[in-house]
Amino acid sequence: MTRVDTAAAARTERSALLRYVARRLITSIVLMLGVTLVVFTLTTLVPGDPLTAALGEGASQNPATVAAYTERFGLDRPLPERYLLYLSALFQGDLGTSIRTTRPVAEELSRALPATAEIALCAIVLSVAVAVVLGTLAAYRRDRATDQVVRVVSLVGLSVPTFWMAILVYQLFFLRLGWAPGSGRLSPALNPPPRITGLFTIDFVLDGDPVGFFDAAAHLVLPVLVLSLFTIGVLTRFVRTSVLEVLSSDYVRAARAKGLSEPRVITSYLLRGASLPILTMTGIAFGGLLSGTVLVEAIFAWPGLGTYAYQAAINLDLPAVMGVGLAVGLVYLLINLVVDLLYGILDPRVRLG
Amino acid sequence: MIRKPARASLALAASAALLISACSGGNSASNPSDSADDGDAGAGAGGGTLVVDTAFSLETGDPGRNYVPTGSIVLHAMYETLLTFDGDDESTPVPALATMEANDAATEFTFTLTGDRTFSDGSPIDADDVVFSLERLAGMESSKANFLMAGIEVTKVDDTTVVLTTTEPSLQVPAIVTNPALSILNSELVEANGGTTDDTDAAEDFLGSTSAGSGPYVLDQLDLTSQVVLVPNPDYDGEKPAAYDRIVVRNVTEPATQLTNLRGGDSQLALDLSGDQVAGLGSDLDVNSVPGAQSIFLLLNQDAGVSGTLANPAFAEAVRYALDYDALLELAGDGSVEASGVIPPMFLGALEEGVTQDLDRSAAALAESGYQGETISLRFPNDNPVGGVDFTTLGERVQSQLQAAGIQVSLAPGPFASEIDPYVDGTGAFSMWYWGPDFADSSSFLPFGPGEKVGLRAGWTADAAPDVAALVAAAKTATDPVEREAAFTDYATAMQESGAFVPLLVPARHFASSGVDGVAYNSNWTVDLTDLSPAE
Repeated sequence: MTRVDTAAAARTERSALLRYVARRLITSIVLMLGVTLVVFTLTTLVPGDPLTAALGEGASQNPATVAAYTERFGLDRPLPERYLLYLSALFQGDLGTSIRTTRPVAEELSRALPATAEIALCAIVLSVAVAVVLGTLAAYRRDRATDQVVRVVSLVGLSVPTFWMAILVYQLFFLRLGWAPGSGRLSPALNPPPRITGLFTIDFVLDGDPVGFFDAAAHLVLPVLVLSLFTIGVLTRFVRTSVLEVLSSDYVRAARAKGLSEPRVITSYLLRGASLPILTMTGIAFGGLLSGTVLVEAIFAWPGLGTYAYQAAINLDLPAVMGVGLAVGLVYLLINLVVDLLYGILDPRVRLG
Repeated sequence: MIRKPARASLALAASAALLISACSGGNSASNPSDSADDGDAGAGAGGGTLVVDTAFSLETGDPGRNYVPTGSIVLHAMYETLLTFDGDDESTPVPALATMEANDAATEFTFTLTGDRTFSDGSPIDADDVVFSLERLAGMESSKANFLMAGIEVTKVDDTTVVLTTTEPSLQVPAIVTNPALSILNSELVEANGGTTDDTDAAEDFLGSTSAGSGPYVLDQLDLTSQVVLVPNPDYDGEKPAAYDRIVVRNVTEPATQLTNLRGGDSQLALDLSGDQVAGLGSDLDVNSVPGAQSIFLLLNQDAGVSGTLANPAFAEAVRYALDYDALLELAGDGSVEASGVIPPMFLGALEEGVTQDLDRSAAALAESGYQGETISLRFPNDNPVGGVDFTTLGERVQSQLQAAGIQVSLAPGPFASEIDPYVDGTGAFSMWYWGPDFADSSSFLPFGPGEKVGLRAGWTADAAPDVAALVAAAKTATDPVEREAAFTDYATAMQESGAFVPLLVPARHFASSGVDGVAYNSNWTVDLTDLSPAE
């Protein structure tokens, strides 16, 4: 092959990748618009009057207050008009105003989302690391004692209710053993760091505050542990299955036949071959962690997205509910987009197909 | 892909960052109260840190816009009102920033500011601050607490005197002015930061970051979802100086976590425990269980368009005497009491005794009511326990007791947000709800009367019970305290004997604490943080 042919092939591959990325981005935008419509429709169909729920009995009997709220939140306007107004505000980065607190929903989400992201990120990193080791080990020792033990561990992680596990872990490690700090993101004696990323550990490092950093990190341990147990259970089984498939493939046999060491086979052939399905599952698990932490947040008094969503729902705070719905939808779309793009990078067949 | 030299650099950089961190400021283990703007606040308090765990109902740091419990807890520590209550005694308001005199007609209430009190910035409190604060609440129609000022005019007489005027006799005004929503703000400071006396007011953000009151504590941090931090007011010149260097009120929604935190020493006071939880506590923790201000009741709609043939007082009577109230009370735990009428025990006019089960009387009333054995549906909110009492469990017990008396009931629970509509609209035939006072006065329970707000929700018009409606009017317009008490007692008695409501329980509020003195329940602000101090 000449140098010209090689350069042309590289250009073709680059443009294929760019076309693939553009396609995925356009699809994501269309999907996001669909999410806004679904979220808006669902929240407005919820039975019950948001004003009565938000104002309480005293204020909801006060015509002046009801009128002021109705006008402020446009609740007397036709639904299509409200949706269009909502959409136009959304394009300007305005997620609306919470009926309950009368604060911008975007501002409230910007506080809640990083709190959840902090435990979700730690949990997914820990889960993937543990699951890859356990899953690979189980696949290598298929149907032996090690495999059985890993399967039991995985089953326990999957079947024990997260809520109960959170209570148990908190009672054991905080109350009985005193190894872990109390609830919340930080000890009561400490002040939160100046807000930069919203992730306390990172912000404390950026602020140059070691006391705060170690305290925030210590408060992460138990919620991350509890969240990880379930995710490890899911991912371990998945890794095991994926590795088993790759183990029986021709290129792994060929690698071994060439005399490559087993660690090299695992890192360069086995895990790379199994990476696509593992990546997919990791993306789904991460999305689940970001959007499904309500119970764990409740037990550990963690002021994250789950807590915010619950408060919004029980108070029928429609703008806040829509904000949460959009945030979760956006998170899933972004994760899918990232996973798809990584697919495109890792597997040329995807982008060329 | 990161090459090895880059990885090494990254590790070095991270180590260096932490090393630099270790030599710099920020939080310090020996200086926990290192707030950004507390100045010399905290000097001299010496009580350390108090941590209070509660499930947040917190929406704002602006007293004029607050009408939720957690807001009242924290605002009451930062702001003062003209009158207040002494601990858990809600019978008579006592002077706070002012003394009060009422005219004989109970339509004019003259408040005279006491002493040379100052705000937390050192500026003196005068009548202009009172007028501004109360007119601001009256003018902010979008405030949830706006209704408290309905029908009340505010007039300045001189620098230390203000008169509140009503068109009707209103002996509830002294109780209304104790509500934290009627806190006295530093008018100059608030006006300088967007405050007005109408709906153009834009001071809420400012008041969410800086307090503008005269209470023993000032605001250090306010996060609506996680915690509120208070520190002592360095310029406080009242009678209850701060006992703690720092008070942290945290949002802990799970009672189980509140209890674990308390036992583990992470907090000193838990406000949302259930009767079962406090029953199992050892002697190392102090427990305070007293009846709350909220009553749980049954509503039997008297509108034939809603309840059909069962819209009659006889059916309500059959239900009233079919129930075993002692058995219902078992679900609520220590400190709870049977509802002896629509007025809870801590308020003027409350009755000593409740209804006693009488199955014969119930059967006779049922026969008279025209009940044909049909199944009636009991609606209730199932996601909002009151005082630890779960409505589903209570509903099941009511269902079994009524079935034993020959009344077939099916349960129809639903979320609060959707159940409140039929209740407020008066379209629910048979429902179980709860009621708490708008302010700490017996007049907060007059809405149960025929033709009144809650009465109409039960389809109970003034024409249906003119005698009871007359008692409501008498209680509303009484101008003499002794006559007023008698009027409320007559009203409560009449409501117990007939009507559309069957009061069931007054659940207890259970507080558990460790090493804290002064814990007491008050319906206005749940617990008075300014009364708390380290145990002797």
